[in-house]
Amino acid sequence: MNIFGIPILTFVTFFPVAGMVVILFLPGSRAKAIKIAANLFTGLELGATLLLLTRFNAASGDMQLVERLPWIKAIGAQYLLGVDGISLLLVLLTSLLTFVATLSSWQAVRKRLKEYYIFLLLLETGMVGVFLALDLLLFYVFWEVVLVPMYFLIGIWGGERRLYAAIKFFLYTLFGSVAMLVGILVLRSQYQTFDWLAMIAAGSVLPIVLQGWVFLAFFLGFAIKVPMFPFHTWLPDAHVEAPTAGSVILAGVLLKMGAYGFLRFSMPLLPEAARRYAPAMVTLALVAIVYGALVSLMQKDMKKLIAYSSVSHMGFIMLGLFVMTPMAAKGAVLQMINHGISTGALFLIVGVLYERRHNRLISEFGGLSSRMPAYAAVFLIMTMSSIGLPGLNGFIGEFMILMGTFPVSWLWTAVAATGIILGAGYMLWLYQRVMFGTLTNPANESLKDLTVREFATFLPLVVLAFWIGVFPKPFLAVIDKPVEKIIRIVNPAHFEAPR
Amino acid sequence: MIPAAGSDLGHFVPEILLLAAAGASMFGHLFVKKGGRRGAGYVALAGIGAAGLALALTPPSSSAFFAGHLAADAFALFFKAVVLVAGALAIILTFRFFDVEKSEPGEVYYLILLSIVGMTAAVSATDMVTTYITFELFSIPSYVLAGIFKKERRSAEAGIKYFFLGTLSSAVMLLGMAFVFGLTGSTGYAEAGPALAGANGLAALVAMSLFFVGLFFKAAFVPFHMWAPDVYEGAPTPMAIFLSTAPKAAVVAILMRAMTVLFGGYALEWSAILQAVALATMFWGNLAALTQKSLKRMLAYSSIAQAGYLAIGLAAWEGSDGMAVLFYVAVYVVMNAAAFGLILLIDGGGRFDESIEGLRGLVRRAPVAAASALVVLLALVGVPPTAGFMGKYFLFAAAVDRGLVFLAAAGALNSAISLFYYFRIGRAMFLEDVPPPPDSGRPQAGHVSRTVTVVLAVCATLLLLLGVLPSPLVSRAAAALLGR
Repeated sequence: MNIFGIPILTFVTFFPVAGMVVILFLPGSRAKAIKIAANLFTGLELGATLLLLTRFNAASGDMQLVERLPWIKAIGAQYLLGVDGISLLLVLLTSLLTFVATLSSWQAVRKRLKEYYIFLLLLETGMVGVFLALDLLLFYVFWEVVLVPMYFLIGIWGGERRLYAAIKFFLYTLFGSVAMLVGILVLRSQYQTFDWLAMIAAGSVLPIVLQGWVFLAFFLGFAIKVPMFPFHTWLPDAHVEAPTAGSVILAGVLLKMGAYGFLRFSMPLLPEAARRYAPAMVTLALVAIVYGALVSLMQKDMKKLIAYSSVSHMGFIMLGLFVMTPMAAKGAVLQMINHGISTGALFLIVGVLYERRHNRLISEFGGLSSRMPAYAAVFLIMTMSSIGLPGLNGFIGEFMILMGTFPVSWLWTAVAATGIILGAGYMLWLYQRVMFGTLTNPANESLKDLTVREFATFLPLVVLAFWIGVFPKPFLAVIDKPVEKIIRIVNPAHFEAPR
Repeated sequence: MIPAAGSDLGHFVPEILLLAAAGASMFGHLFVKKGGRRGAGYVALAGIGAAGLALALTPPSSSAFFAGHLAADAFALFFKAVVLVAGALAIILTFRFFDVEKSEPGEVYYLILLSIVGMTAAVSATDMVTTYITFELFSIPSYVLAGIFKKERRSAEAGIKYFFLGTLSSAVMLLGMAFVFGLTGSTGYAEAGPALAGANGLAALVAMSLFFVGLFFKAAFVPFHMWAPDVYEGAPTPMAIFLSTAPKAAVVAILMRAMTVLFGGYALEWSAILQAVALATMFWGNLAALTQKSLKRMLAYSSIAQAGYLAIGLAAWEGSDGMAVLFYVAVYVVMNAAAFGLILLIDGGGRFDESIEGLRGLVRRAPVAAASALVVLLALVGVPPTAGFMGKYFLFAAAVDRGLVFLAAAGALNSAISLFYYFRIGRAMFLEDVPPPPDSGRPQAGHVSRTVTVVLAVCATLLLLLGVLPSPLVSRAAAALLGR
């Protein structure tokens, strides 16, 4: 399928670049025009990714709409894009959250608008490319392209300690990705190709020792991005200093790139090593779940609290992946989407308050629900979604992960479940301290409730939270086959064992 | 039996043109009263242009010329083109430099040309005597270039230092050549190579090591790099650009020829030597750059580190893998020249600011220059989609394919380290605001040069294009190796 004669996957990947060019040629003084153009382009991009749905065959677990062109003939690198259910959902999440982030920036960003939106659009191209690329070198290129705009989003429009946070983010993730590059090189020297499809077709050809090394190299790249304990220390800094839109995209999409990398590359391409390291991975995931939750309980800054809650939630996702049962893995993929929705929304919620008060300390607030009823409602829904209340999206994902984990180990399930309880603790406590009680701080007397624009930014996220919570079937149907395909490669024993 | 030299000259038209231009430039400088100095520069630039054109029209040939002393194969032509690009960039930035400095020692232009002639001949050399003579031919003008501002302490010191250490190292190289001659009885690579392979191994290794010392010195490989930061920092910036790019390209060509033809029987040994050199050069260059405060000195260390990545490719070189080295040499010249060019971007009060702080808030004042500089920095770090990434990728891939995974890993680690200092520049340009005028004596909000902006933009465009579509340069590099 083509849009304006351009194959659709290429179109959705590079359409934001067109937006960049348009904004580049708008005069910097025309603030409104720049904002309208940016929103228009991210909105159209969302529409274009939704068009993908019309051509997508959910019944198939294979890569679809594959586009293949020679790129660097001398080394056999190709321009190879393809989409399966996992990629599809993540691309949709990306375009939705980028649109939401752009819309939420209307008032929040006041300086250097032109650069801001250019970086935001470049970021979108990088993220979409990461989820669609099937050539490992191309994947790496997109992976790195994401770093630069994010560095600037934090470094220019961030908070007090933005310079420190920006370079920490960049250094940390670059360190991980160059390790991954070495892994890719080793893979390519063994398979003689960068083509993911061909690698999958060839099956696992690497000797077990080499697999272990490549797995470790990939681990550095992906685990830093997720971030897994103990590589998570860049995350609180980056999140706290980033502007709201940056946090939304960082938590909503960038962290998913790491989990996606494990699922798409580490597990099916290095199955023996993945199985061997699975207990270690699960352990790290469990530590992250409990540790992230405990640290969240301690936070005074709302944004930092949500940042640490992401460490805990991403631990859940990693647990789901490395338990290596179809149920848990499907839950993990769904939870990637859920976390994007709920945490993205929570960062927006903090952003709303920060825009009004320029303060994020929990102790500064209290009793806001009487002044901001609509805000209170949205906040409540997203709190519940994050906790995993039945009827909302978080429940489905977490429940599937636990259900898939239980047959493997009741102990892991029990530890993970503690994380949910702690999660309910810190989120409800946060909500209580900010929204309930009497309004004591005079600075909060005149707080305005959500504007129409703000409400519009939240609306799609709220709708999705309920939709996935009540009727997740369409989402699960899309990821069912591709996830099972990967689990069949990485853990064939699960399907042979008598049940 | 000496073949007719007349027909041989047809393959060396670029050199002839460069020599002619050097002569014309010299006479223009000496005898034209008004504007003669700048005129000498234009003549030199035109000479490089003409030589480039002639080079494009010269067909590569696999035969030996001048009694086996020179080759005009695709390999030599590739490096000649790289050297010409380096020279042209240096001359264009020299114009800018002298505009601000007010004094214009016009000798610079023909000295650069003479040095280039030496390099174009050196990359063709297939005989030790020719190698030595051409090596000196491009070295001697470069000593003068480093010290061209003889009244300025820094420049004079750079010239003297470069001269003494340079002559010492070429004497060591000559000793190595004498050993080879003593062992084999011939000076031609093609004859000495096989004889050397059958000769006394230890003596041959000594000969090779001595030979390489001179080359390693000129390429500023660690541990023969001690002169480099001082010379690059002390020399006038355009001269530093020239000295940190062109000689390295020429040395890489000489090394590659010597490694395969002359020391082909000792591939394991030279690979081991270069592995050690690569590790030392990358780590030393990058770690030392981390601690620098001056932009110019930081870039000096950065150019040392960059040579370390090249050494990875040399260590891993066997057959077609060498394409990586050729690709990276070409990209390195552009990246490094553009990075040093950043020093020449802003002038205030008749001088240049060599500190990173001087670039603060550049994106507000000169968005095109800042964006271009950002691309150059990303290329130096090796972040896609720039040619710097592609080059590093090819180098690391060559290492992995030869089983030297640790070299690739060390290179990758070094890329991550280098981000830290390269992005101090990026941070100053994009994240920091123009400082309020303090009494630091630093030129405030100086004038931004259009010439340098254009140079930066062209280099950045090139780096981006080759990063997205590297195939044109890859195929030329591969062809250059095949035609050797």
